[in-house]
Amino acid sequence: MGQDTLSAQKRATATALPTTTALAASNARRNPPRSRQISKTFNNIKITILCGFVTILVLRGTIGVNLGSSDADAVNQNLIEETNRILAEIRSDSDPNEPDEPDIALNASSSFSLGPKIRNWDRERQQWLQNNPEYPNLVRGKPRILLLTGSPPKPCDNPIGDHYLLKSIKNKIDYCRIHGIEIVYNIAHLDKELAGYWAKLPMIRRLMLSHPEVEWIWWMDSDAFFTDMVFELPFSKYENYNLVLHGYPDLLFEQKSWIAVNTGSFLFRNCQWSLDLLDEWAPMGPKGPIREEAGRILTANLKGRPAFEADDQSALIYLLLFKKVWMEKVFLENSYYLHGYWAGLVDRYEEMAEKYHPGLGDERWPFVTHFVGCKPCGSYGDYPVERCLSSMERAFNFADNQVLKLYGFSHRGLLSPKIKRIRNETVTPLEFVDKFDIRRHHPSTTQSKS
Amino acid sequence: MLERCLGLRRLRQIQRACRRGSLTFLCLFLTVVVLRGTIGAGKFGTPEQDLNEIRHLYAYRSRRVEPHRVLEEAQPETTTNDANNYATFDISKILVDEAASADEPKRDPNAPYTLGPKISDWDEQRGQWLKKNPDYPNFIGPNKPRVLLVTGSSPKPCENPVGDHYLLKSIKNKIDYCRLHGIEIFYNMALLDAEMAGFWAKLPLIRKLLLSHPEVEFLWWMDSDAMFTDMAFEVPWERYKDSNFVMHGWNEMVYDEKNWIGLNTGSFLLRNCQWSLDILDAWAPMGPKGKIRDEAGKILTRELKNRPVFEADDQSAMVYLLATGKEQWGDKVYLENHYYLHGYWGILVDRYEEMIENYHPGLGDHRWPLVTHFVGCKPCGKFGDYPVERCLKQMDRAYNFGDNQILQMYGFTHKSLASRRVKRVRNETSNPLDVKDELGLLHPAFKAIKLPTSS
Repeated sequence: MGQDTLSAQKRATATALPTTTALAASNARRNPPRSRQISKTFNNIKITILCGFVTILVLRGTIGVNLGSSDADAVNQNLIEETNRILAEIRSDSDPNEPDEPDIALNASSSFSLGPKIRNWDRERQQWLQNNPEYPNLVRGKPRILLLTGSPPKPCDNPIGDHYLLKSIKNKIDYCRIHGIEIVYNIAHLDKELAGYWAKLPMIRRLMLSHPEVEWIWWMDSDAFFTDMVFELPFSKYENYNLVLHGYPDLLFEQKSWIAVNTGSFLFRNCQWSLDLLDEWAPMGPKGPIREEAGRILTANLKGRPAFEADDQSALIYLLLFKKVWMEKVFLENSYYLHGYWAGLVDRYEEMAEKYHPGLGDERWPFVTHFVGCKPCGSYGDYPVERCLSSMERAFNFADNQVLKLYGFSHRGLLSPKIKRIRNETVTPLEFVDKFDIRRHHPSTTQSKS
Repeated sequence: MLERCLGLRRLRQIQRACRRGSLTFLCLFLTVVVLRGTIGAGKFGTPEQDLNEIRHLYAYRSRRVEPHRVLEEAQPETTTNDANNYATFDISKILVDEAASADEPKRDPNAPYTLGPKISDWDEQRGQWLKKNPDYPNFIGPNKPRVLLVTGSSPKPCENPVGDHYLLKSIKNKIDYCRLHGIEIFYNMALLDAEMAGFWAKLPLIRKLLLSHPEVEFLWWMDSDAMFTDMAFEVPWERYKDSNFVMHGWNEMVYDEKNWIGLNTGSFLLRNCQWSLDILDAWAPMGPKGKIRDEAGKILTRELKNRPVFEADDQSAMVYLLATGKEQWGDKVYLENHYYLHGYWGILVDRYEEMIENYHPGLGDHRWPLVTHFVGCKPCGKFGDYPVERCLKQMDRAYNFGDNQILQMYGFTHKSLASRRVKRVRNETSNPLDVKDELGLLHPAFKAIKLPTSS
């Protein structure tokens, strides 16, 4: 009976349902309710807009179709791409116009030389100086010096590196103008095999032979800054020596340390002895298996040296240690900072400015602050970038303040590129010129022309 | 058929679910696309970057008439936060300006601008000083005055990533020329007067240097985008013995036509004397930044021929000064056009190979220009007036063209004018002093020290 009623109900609903739908359908066909129509239309429009929006975004994202000024943007994009391509080309090492020559690495058996052996350079040079009295090797009682520095031919891996190279050369220009020293800035690799830190050797030799009037050649790294603009090299100490290096005898002879001397700032006299030393120094340099093998020998023999290819500093130390005859003419200078390791100096500049005065050259007012390990021209240095660059900025401004003093200006703090006036303008500027010009106060420059 | 399979109700449920599902899917898709659009959408950048470029484009167009170029650094791929990595470094993190202190000398803002207090007896002061300091003569040879070459650039890194590299090559080029010719260099990186910023910054600097270096006879200003391309040419100093201001230009174009490019202030010589201080004082008033410079710019555009509309620049101001004050200044101004004291790069750079074939250094003129000046290239900035590729490649060529003359002293030359690499052209010998360089630049006559006749 339950089933009967159930099935009856089912049949009732079954029949009822079609009735209602039929009724609804007929209703809809005859008179669709306005609200529903509107809401349906509204829904359709919503979906249409949504789809349209999505299409535009997708097209924009994939093929960059713009509804705005497409012309200018396309041109812009092209320019940007073109510019990036040019920048990448400029920064790369390859030359687009010539094929890359295969690097012919010398094997260990072949010998390398900087040039044909010269044996009587001292006599030839003396003769030349006698025949050319208008190019003397002594100017106003001081020996003629040539400062040699340089950097690689291509842009630095990062733009900030080039900026600090520029500041570094300005710093050297200032010192050399004040002290009458000529500068040669080398950007060419004269010898492909002696690239990198070894590139200074062929250049030093070449300059010595081309400029017999030059008495001393002073090599200085591009990451070394002059920080004492008044200090002058005491050449009277070096009369009997041919190579002046900053270094410590105990570190060199007792400890055989690889940082016993520093070849970031040194002086070479223009003479036969120097040519001979360069010839003995160069053989560890040629790129490839020779340099690698030499690197292993140096790491084995010098204290504290990490394992890497041979560098000029370690090679020189090795030479001085194991062929002691060279030490006779080498002066290990440590009474002033011919090379001053930056880490212990840069934080004390304000203290120095307060307590001391330029002209000392030593730890009270360092002559040269050398940013070893910072490598701003590369991609990675041995120290945090912020520390390196802010310290270089401080050293640069510390030195620049000494130059600007003559003009009555000073930097607004050692980290600021802006300057402030420290002296009013006057109608009699020459009294300050006499007081502040460094050249006029140095004892050797007041000698009359001899 | 589906209806029969699943039942009507089920079918409706499925349909409803499908509808809702598709709506959900659509919204999800939209979200993904929008996110892609805002934080990284393929190789065309985000819509915001496009908007910025459009903004830049319209802003730039309103400032300049010439075609523009945009220089932007490629975004670095790496996002590592390595403290030792120079790629992710931002210079503004380390530069710090101390606050101005109260006792700093300040200029009265209401008074008209002056470069400094008026000096009226500079010739006497300087003459006396030279007498008292015979070790610092103003002439280092019979016809050779002591010259100071002044150039400079901003103390902040260039906006263009390779700009500093070209500044470096440019200063090396100047160092080489000046070493050969016995000229001293002053490289300026300081802004002496904030009101005279931009191209006007040279005026306070020049005045300051003239007054601080009485031993200097001639001050040679040279822009940082000008390069020496003739290393053997010595400026004919005797020609200027009665002039105080030497610029490259043409008399007709300045005095008759009043053309704004009738002369060029990118490379000029200024004698250290009272007259020069006076002309600097007369030149300066159009310079101060702001309303004065803008108003002056309008006057100059109106008065000078072909000048576009922009704020007053020192070159136009000098043309105007000379054209309107010929009686006062004209007799001591020498407009030189027999050699390229300033050589517009556009007409010179393509002819370098032809010059090498047909001529030789030492001429200084159209056959072998003394100076190639890259006006409008602005390698340090982001916007220039010429296409990037042309400017930078031609600067490389001009640099190599000049550098070849230096390298030939040592037996080398660049492999080509476009190449950084060098090759040997003269073998090493065991008698280096017998070899003379072709141009005689190793020991030139103009660098020789004149000996006293009694020795």
